[in-house]
Amino acid sequence: MESNLKARIRPGQARRKQRTDRTVRAVFFLAALISGSCIVLITLFILMKGIQPFLPGYAYGSVSLKDFLLGTLWRQDQGVYGVGFIVINTLISAFGALLLAFPIAVLTALFIVKIAPKPVKPLMKTVVELLASIPSVVYGVFAAGVITSLVKGLASLAGVSTAGGSSLLAVILLLAIMIFPTITSLAVTAIEAVDPDLELGSLALGASATQTHFKVVLASAKSGIFAGAILGLGRAFGEATAVAMVAGNKLFGPTFNLFDITRTLTSTMLAGLKETTGLDYDIRFSVGLLLMVVILLSNLSLNWVKKKVGNGQ
Amino acid sequence: METCFEVKDLNLYYGEKQALKQLNLTIGKNRVTALIGPSGCGKSTFLRCLNRMNDLIENCRISGEIRLLGENIYDSKTNVVQLRTEVGMVFQKPNPFPMSIYDNIAYGPRCQGIRDKKVLDGVVEHSLKSAALWEEVKDRLHDSALALSGGQQQRLCIARAIAMEPEVILMDEPTSALDPIATAKIEELIEQLKTTYTIVIVTHSMQQASRVSDDTAFFLLGEIVEADTTRKLFSKPADQRTEDYITGRFG
Repeated sequence: MESNLKARIRPGQARRKQRTDRTVRAVFFLAALISGSCIVLITLFILMKGIQPFLPGYAYGSVSLKDFLLGTLWRQDQGVYGVGFIVINTLISAFGALLLAFPIAVLTALFIVKIAPKPVKPLMKTVVELLASIPSVVYGVFAAGVITSLVKGLASLAGVSTAGGSSLLAVILLLAIMIFPTITSLAVTAIEAVDPDLELGSLALGASATQTHFKVVLASAKSGIFAGAILGLGRAFGEATAVAMVAGNKLFGPTFNLFDITRTLTSTMLAGLKETTGLDYDIRFSVGLLLMVVILLSNLSLNWVKKKVGNGQ
Repeated sequence: METCFEVKDLNLYYGEKQALKQLNLTIGKNRVTALIGPSGCGKSTFLRCLNRMNDLIENCRISGEIRLLGENIYDSKTNVVQLRTEVGMVFQKPNPFPMSIYDNIAYGPRCQGIRDKKVLDGVVEHSLKSAALWEEVKDRLHDSALALSGGQQQRLCIARAIAMEPEVILMDEPTSALDPIATAKIEELIEQLKTTYTIVIVTHSMQQASRVSDDTAFFLLGEIVEADTTRKLFSKPADQRTEDYITGRFG
């Protein structure tokens, strides 16, 4: 049958299609330009604001960069801004939470994908995703009442007193709970994406199911699992509201005692903000800038760990 | 001819559907046996019965028996993990683990608890030499196996199977993802390996079957139509359907 297709094509069709391609390309470029320039502008703004207090000729007095970075006292009422101890506190609480949440999250993910009976699997996945979407202030309220009293009980068992349960331990527990679903849900995705042929290959070599799961499945899902760890760590570093509710905001430090109160970079940025001009405001950008550097360095170190682990034995 | 596998009245069902029907076959020791037939005829399913990989598929039921050197591998006493160290397998698509070349080979022995570095070094070298890969990779044993070419990866997978010193190596269309040069190398390798191992190979290519195998079984719709020496099956097939298939009239 002859449909005479070619004759039915409108004249100039090819040219019109080319024109559409050009327009669409311009639209894409514009979208990319807007989002890209937002990032650049925000970073520049934070950078400028954050560096200001340390420059000579700053309008609201000046702060020595060395005292800021190495300081062990934060008294904004007295104009003393030292964040050295806060950086250490932040690292301890974030990595403490990761240390606690990471193994549980990975094992949970492995259970959900490989071991859980079929009907249970989607249910557990939904629960984990729901957990990840609970707003942080809800976790904060929960932590302020439940985790703190738990910590208080633990402390009295150990024979130490706490500030009503607000403590480093409470922060770590809270953050661990908050980042657990993030890591789990990324690990689930990563494990599901592992080529089934690799598992069969392992089983065909006489490896047991457990050996296959730990040596081949986890090793193959390594990138995705570490992406989850990095996102989780980012959330732990960046969480302000919930953390501020149980940290106790200590003025000096660093805090190594789990039952002692602490202070993180984010809770410092949040606490006692009154004016939106002046040193007290600008210095918060310096803290934010430092937080970004801490997160960047932590991600780099996690990437380094990723390269070192899981390549066979 | 010594017998390696003795298959008796084997039936396999996926749920209600019967995929293998009343199979009987003897596979000779230290011989290469090719399984040929059109897609979906059950040859790969049958291959996976020989190391009980079908156990992993839900709703898969099997009746009948398969004896490996006299022992029924479907006996309730059989340890499946143990069986798979005796019956190695090479898959259609090369599937090296995302680890170094060395660790890929050492994986099987390590899973059996062998940790002695000297022993492992020896196994790795011997396996790679047997798989004709040693010369190409000996200077980069600790590089990722994923950096190898497709043909090299498949030879690595063969080396990985050899490392367990199995009785049998099953190959499920091992060259279908490879170019002609890599294919030729694997076929050459099969020729050398049969002095030590029994090889069962599923192949789509009748040229390959006639080149590498001693015996051939022709599968059609879940049944074995004919099984004989390769020479006889290709020159004087007993069944009309075999003749139609090997002369390219269908499939």
